[in-house]
Formats: sequence, C-alpha cells, structure tokens
Amino acid sequence: MITLWRIFKAGFRNTFRNAWLSSAATAIMAVTLLIIVFFAFSIYFVQTQLKEVQQKIDLTIFIADEASADQIKALQDKVIQLSGVTSVVYVSKADALKKLENSSEEGRKLAKSAEEIGNPLPSSLEVKLAKLDDIGAINSQIRALSESEIISETSYDSRDDNRKGVIENIIRISNGITRAGAVLSVVFLLIALMIIFNTIRMAIFTRREEIEIMKLVGATRWFIRGPFIIEGSMYGVFGATVAVAALIPISRVAAQFLTEKLNAVTAVNYFGDNFWLIILALYGLGILIGAISSWLAISRHLKL
Amino acid sequence: MILLDRVTVIYPNKTVALSGASLHIQPKEFVTIVGPSGAGKSTLIRLLIKEEVPTSGKIIVGSIDYDTIDKSNIPHLRRRIGVVFQDFKLLPNLTVYENVAFALEVSDVRTSEIKRAVPKILQLVGLSEKAHHYPGEISGGEKQRTAIARALVRNPKILIADEPTGNLDPKNSWDIIELLLKINKFGTTVVLTTHNKAIVDALKKRVITINRGRVVKDEKIGKYTL
Repeated sequence: MITLWRIFKAGFRNTFRNAWLSSAATAIMAVTLLIIVFFAFSIYFVQTQLKEVQQKIDLTIFIADEASADQIKALQDKVIQLSGVTSVVYVSKADALKKLENSSEEGRKLAKSAEEIGNPLPSSLEVKLAKLDDIGAINSQIRALSESEIISETSYDSRDDNRKGVIENIIRISNGITRAGAVLSVVFLLIALMIIFNTIRMAIFTRREEIEIMKLVGATRWFIRGPFIIEGSMYGVFGATVAVAALIPISRVAAQFLTEKLNAVTAVNYFGDNFWLIILALYGLGILIGAISSWLAISRHLKL
Repeated sequence: MILLDRVTVIYPNKTVALSGASLHIQPKEFVTIVGPSGAGKSTLIRLLIKEEVPTSGKIIVGSIDYDTIDKSNIPHLRRRIGVVFQDFKLLPNLTVYENVAFALEVSDVRTSEIKRAVPKILQLVGLSEKAHHYPGEISGGEKQRTAIARALVRNPKILIADEPTGNLDPKNSWDIIELLLKINKFGTTVVLTTHNKAIVDALKKRVITINRGRVVKDEKIGKYTL
C-alpha cells in the first residue's frame, strides 16, 4: 500500500521535474489523439453520408390511376414480404401533391398549377431496400408478382442510363470507402502508436542511467517500472486535455460548416450527442497508450 | 563476514577477470583493495552486489550463500549492502534529501521512520544545509557524501566504496576517507578500493593487493605497492 502510494508520488514528481521531456511527449500524445479523432470521425461521417444517399435512392412503384385500394393493399403486402425490402410506404395522389408543394418554392408553384388541371401525379409505393445492390433483382421480382398489373412504371424501369450509372457508382464508391476506411484506420492507428511509443522509448532511454542506479540501490522491478508507467499515463492525461481543448473550438467550426454546406446533420448530431463519451474515450485511450508504451519501453532496461 | 573461495570470472570474450581469488574479511574490518587498472577490483565489487555471477567458486556474505539467492531476491540483497561509486550514481531529478530517502523508500520503510532517519544521516555526513539542493548544484565532495549517506541510511553491515575519491581533489578525498573511518568505528565493515597511494599508506589498515585476477598480497598493515 505504502509502496503503491510512493510509486504514484514518484511518477507525478518525475513528470513535473522532467518538464521538458514531459511537454514533448504530451504534445505528441495530443497530436496523436487528435489524428485518431479526426480519422474516426471522417470514417463515420463518410459512412453516414453514404447511408443517407443510399436511403434517398429507393425504388418507387408508380400505380396506375385505375387501381383500386384493395389492389394496392395486396401489392403492398406482397412487396413487403420480399427479402431485402425494409419498408413499403403508400403515397396517395394527394400525398404526392403535398410533397411537391413542400419541396421548394418552385414545387409550390408547380403544385398549384397541377391542382388546377386536376392532380396529374400518380399514387405510388415507396420501397426502401436493405442493400442498394439488390435494386435490380427486387425490381424484377416485383414485376413478376401477379399483383403487378396495376404498376404503371417503376423508378428502376424509367431510369435512364445516366441515373443507372450514378447508382452503380455510388454502390461501388461506398463499398470501396468502407473497405479502405477499415484498412486505413488500422494502418493509421499503428503509425500513431509507433510514434508515441518511440517518443516514450526515447524519453526513457535518456534516463536509462537512472534505472541502473535504482537497481543498484535495491529497488524492485515494480518500484522502478511503476513511476514510469504513471508518467506515461500522465502524458495521456495531459495529451488528452490538450486534444480536448483543441477539439472544442475546432468541432464548433466544423459542425457549422458540415451542417450548412454538406447538410451532414446525422454525423454532426452523433458527434454532439456523444461528446462526453468522446472526451472520456480520449482520456482512456491516452492513458492506455501512454501506460502500455512506457511498460514496453522500460522492459528492456529492467533485465537484472 | 565476506568470504570468497577460489572465485573465477571469465567473460564471454575469454577475458579472465578473476582467477581463483580467495579472501576472507572479518566483521568490522576496514580493508583496502588495491591493484592496477584491469586487475579485477571492479569485478570483485560487482560480484559482491551480485551484478555479476562467478564462472566458478563460492561467495558468502553475511550468512548468505550467493548461489542460493534467486533473481527476485537480488534487490533485497542490495539493500543490505551499502555501495558508494566513483561516479556517485545519484538520481539527478531528486534532491540530496530525496536521494537518501529513496534508499529507504525502496526498502518499504515507514514514512515517519524516513523523516527521522534521513536528517540524522545528513547531519552525520555534514550535508544538512544542502538537503534540498539537486546533485547538479553541489560539489563533487558533497555528491560523494550524499552517496555515502544513501548507502548508510539503511544501517548496512557492509559498506563497499569503489574508488570513492577517484573524482575528488585531495582535500575532499581526505574528508571522504575520514568519514569512512568514522563509519567503520561505529561498527560497519568497510571495503575500499582506491588508486590513491597517499591514502593507502596513511591509513595503516589491512591492504589486499590484486593483480591479474589473483590475490598477490594480503597484509595486516599494508602499503600501496604494485
């Protein structure tokens, strides 16, 4: 117990008395943590954006005006049972008009004139898909249903080659980004860990003589190792504090930019909702990286 | 107290540092070990603090047979032997007081006991005034006295001083030797290695001469002869 207290005390004391070394390690720790946050956020951001885009591209089934409510209901029930379909929403002619009215200033004018000539917009079923890749297959399955006679057209049929290309491109890009993101994040985390590990290793290397002396005076391994691990953790605490201090103004500016220019509300909200958790994670990660690096770095000096 | 029985040390590069060296030091003795550079003095010291293990031969210090202690007990062994080095080996980021207290802290001594013992020992070596200076702020003689205080604060039965005056001027050297004599008078066995002829000759104590890894001379009241 007394030993543990002394180890902590020595760790704190060394951190402050080696101010120069500690500041260097803290700075690098802060940069490392910031890079990790930016990287994690970027991946999350791109993925949510892609998901949002994907959700916008759903399959719309336009219904012929002659169709009865029962027929539409029957079709809707069949479609929802297809595997890969997550939801089917019925949009009546009136709903379609309202949607158009609410979409934009131009839409409002358009809706007004449409109303005058007697709403020409068709009713429709909006089908959401689990995976965008399935859109072609599901379209043919729907077409093959016996209830499909009331379909006048689907958005997949009426796609021009341009639109088809866009959809396929988005599918390809999103798959690529997800895969590259996973690989890159691992590589990046490793690089960051290597940088901070080397910094701490150098800091300990400059003090290898002290370790020698402690051994000669009769300190046990834990008595030597302990304070260095505390020091490493302190770099984590200070580094995380600096990183958080930098993150608060940066995230404000970034949030404003992302919301206004890219309409990335989901990602920004996620970041905002979990801000405390992110801060906590930064401290945890900093302490963990610092402590483990110190432990590894000091091991080779401890051989008796 | 200290017994070396036909101790041989051969390094991996085939250098023979000690070859069949035997010696016996009684409790409360003051023994000086002399010999030219490379004679094996430093190897002998490193054996005594188990920084090195002999290729063959037996070492017994106190009642401890060095063959029987395992690695985890080395720190405990080192706490029982006070060692002073030529290059002081003080921790640069700790004050004089903290350097001395460190030796007790690693030995699980209670804080109240540390607070009592450290000032007392600093007074003995004459460093009360410099207690809160860092090693970088004091003279060589003061550094060596700090090192002696650190070695003594645990009340060791044996104090080993490896060329303690090697980096000091004559005045400071004599201060250190006088301190060692005082410690010896209180009952601590002192093993001193030195190159300083004037000191050895003036001491009029037992002198063991080592050359080429062998004990070549062992005199009750010896002189520095090579």
